[in-house]
Amino acid sequence: MSGQLKEVRERIKSVISTQQITKAMKMVSAAKLRRAQQAITEIRPYSDRLQKVLKHVLTSLEGEADSVFNRKTELKKPLIILNTSSRGLCGAFNTNILKAAIAEIEDKYKSNEADGSLIFLCVGKKGHDYVKKHYNKCVIIADWVNLPNHMSFEQVEEIAELIFEKFENGEIDTVEVAYSRFKNAGVQYPEALRYLPVAQLDTDYSKKKHRKRADYVFEPDKVTLLNELVPSILKTQLHRYFLDTHASEHGARMTAMDKATENAEELLKELRIGYNKARQAAITTEISEIVGGAAALEGA
Amino acid sequence: MKVFVLTPEKELFNGNVTSVKVPGVVGQFEILKGHAPIVSGLSKGDVRITLESGEKQVFKIARGFVEVFNDEVSVLVQEPKKEN
Repeated sequence: MSGQLKEVRERIKSVISTQQITKAMKMVSAAKLRRAQQAITEIRPYSDRLQKVLKHVLTSLEGEADSVFNRKTELKKPLIILNTSSRGLCGAFNTNILKAAIAEIEDKYKSNEADGSLIFLCVGKKGHDYVKKHYNKCVIIADWVNLPNHMSFEQVEEIAELIFEKFENGEIDTVEVAYSRFKNAGVQYPEALRYLPVAQLDTDYSKKKHRKRADYVFEPDKVTLLNELVPSILKTQLHRYFLDTHASEHGARMTAMDKATENAEELLKELRIGYNKARQAAITTEISEIVGGAAALEGA
Repeated sequence: MKVFVLTPEKELFNGNVTSVKVPGVVGQFEILKGHAPIVSGLSKGDVRITLESGEKQVFKIARGFVEVFNDEVSVLVQEPKKEN
């Protein structure tokens, strides 16, 4: 009897220590989430204003706005940017992103996958591991698996420039990005989106009332400016994808760890009831044994 | 005249000033109140701001853009890479 009691006591101890870990992880994630969210809000004014500048340039640009990044392609050499987390214990977070990526591949690039012309660029270890295991015919041109917690714009720029270079010299002709759009700590939307080529730049601005009364001076000329602006905007966009994924990761981990802590609590409750029952049963047996023994002595 | 100096990672400056000097790709120029609307690329150099109090502030930049419209100046820049 006491052997069984000891066993339950050990289990309770181990559940308590696991619960402490999950609780701590939840709090760490909450703190990291706050920082990640802050990063998202900090990039917003920059990217909004950049968009505005682009609009002003487009407004005064007559006719087609052409750039390397919006040329038509045949979708022959796709690149998939797979943005996942590097660590686990965040529920179905990575699985969901991978699912979105796989759905996109099945939908559009099945033949590329078969002949191995599908290229991956992995940001985050989990996605990298998955591709290595399940798409061993495909090439991973680059990976960033040992990321620090927070990605700086410089790092994003490095990735973006690698992609632009390959895109410009025709090594790849389509870029899709699989990431997780952040809504709040509880809700994230895994998505796979077309990143390059960009949709035709909307020059309709010039025809509509969007036309500002102001006549802008452009330095240097509009076309050069546009060729500078578009990559900048694309980089900012990529940075936003990464920041969103980062925030989503911590949101997902926070929710997962909260659930785990709750489950541990429930488990503890059950274990404690079981433990107390067993203890009570042991005491009752002991007493009845003593009483029985005493009664036998008295009778003698 | 209102000025925003923004990088992708943070807001460097936001407030009222009397003048902004920026390193345009064509040449350095100064923006004062009532400047004509302009969009310009910026090259490596310093953005110099003179506050209404006369105090001066300098930001080093690697490149960027400036837009002036209606006495509102948006300076969108990237900071130079930090030397290790």
